Amino acid sequence: MIVKEHIIGLILCMITGTLYSQTLIAVTLPVVTLLDVEPTGTITLNFTAPTEAGQALTAPAANTTKWINYTSAIASGGLTRRITASINQVIPGVNIGIQAAAASGAGGGTLGTSSGLVILSTTAATIITGIGGAFTGTGANNGHRLTISLSVNTYANLSARTNTPVVITYTITE
Amino acid sequence: MLGTSLKAQTVSVSGTNWTVSIPAITEAGSDYAGTYASATNQSILNVGLPALLGSVKVYVHYEPNPIWNSSLVLSAKRTNNGTTLCVGCSISGGTAYQTVTQTALELFRISTILSVTSYTGINIQYQLSGVSVTIPAATYNSKIVFTVSN
Repeated sequence: MIVKEHIIGLILCMITGTLYSQTLIAVTLPVVTLLDVEPTGTITLNFTAPTEAGQALTAPAANTTKWINYTSAIASGGLTRRITASINQVIPGVNIGIQAAAASGAGGGTLGTSSGLVILSTTAATIITGIGGAFTGTGANNGHRLTISLSVNTYANLSARTNTPVVITYTITE
Repeated sequence: MLGTSLKAQTVSVSGTNWTVSIPAITEAGSDYAGTYASATNQSILNVGLPALLGSVKVYVHYEPNPIWNSSLVLSAKRTNNGTTLCVGCSISGGTAYQTVTQTALELFRISTILSVTSYTGINIQYQLSGVSVTIPAATYNSKIVFTVSN
């Protein structure tokens, strides 16, 4: 009986410690910078000629069908991103305006902030700022809705024209 | 008789380290899928047991090595029972993903009889969730540590 008690005592002493072994897990998250405008396709904005002498041109209704989608991953402490827009040509006497709305939809993270209404020129102008690690969701109804408008800035510079394609270029940059 | 009863418990890990493969994002506006799983036998545990009438618990925790992001959630589960020559022993728990924290938590336990034995080939699968572009871009590493105790 005494021998049995000693054996159990020795066993309990041996099992109170902890031993360990390990394995390693690694994951790399890269810097990501992706930008898109959805849906694809051109938009058409036409001024309407007046029907009575002395009246002004009627500006077209603003187009609100386009959405900016982006995905942005930045390093810790890295610079935030911004989105700029420019056009390939200016139409004399006409302002082409663009305004990004606040982000909405399925996105998350540090989404950008609209710069408000911007009149486009051939020099890139910032339309969204402060994009951190973020994604907007894809397609229409996700991201920043764009309002693209035309207005007359100087009647004296206007001239009749038909089908003048203007390309708007969007860039995401630091 | 005392010589065979004094062997303490041990745990060893074989298999391979897991470098998580994350497909690149190809469409603006998208995030990562978010959850990724390793091979079902990414780690293989061998647990040596002393002559013990009771249960031995295998714990798991992680340690940043040196940098980890708390939004990256690691989980682990046991995908088989391993093998043992012990007729009266059993293994239980850990067959569903369990979040691995920096505090050691029990993953599974082995119930033994009064005989020196071992369990070999206990397969462990890992899962990584919470992967997102909202996490700062970097390389993150952690050590998964298994401990065994009664």
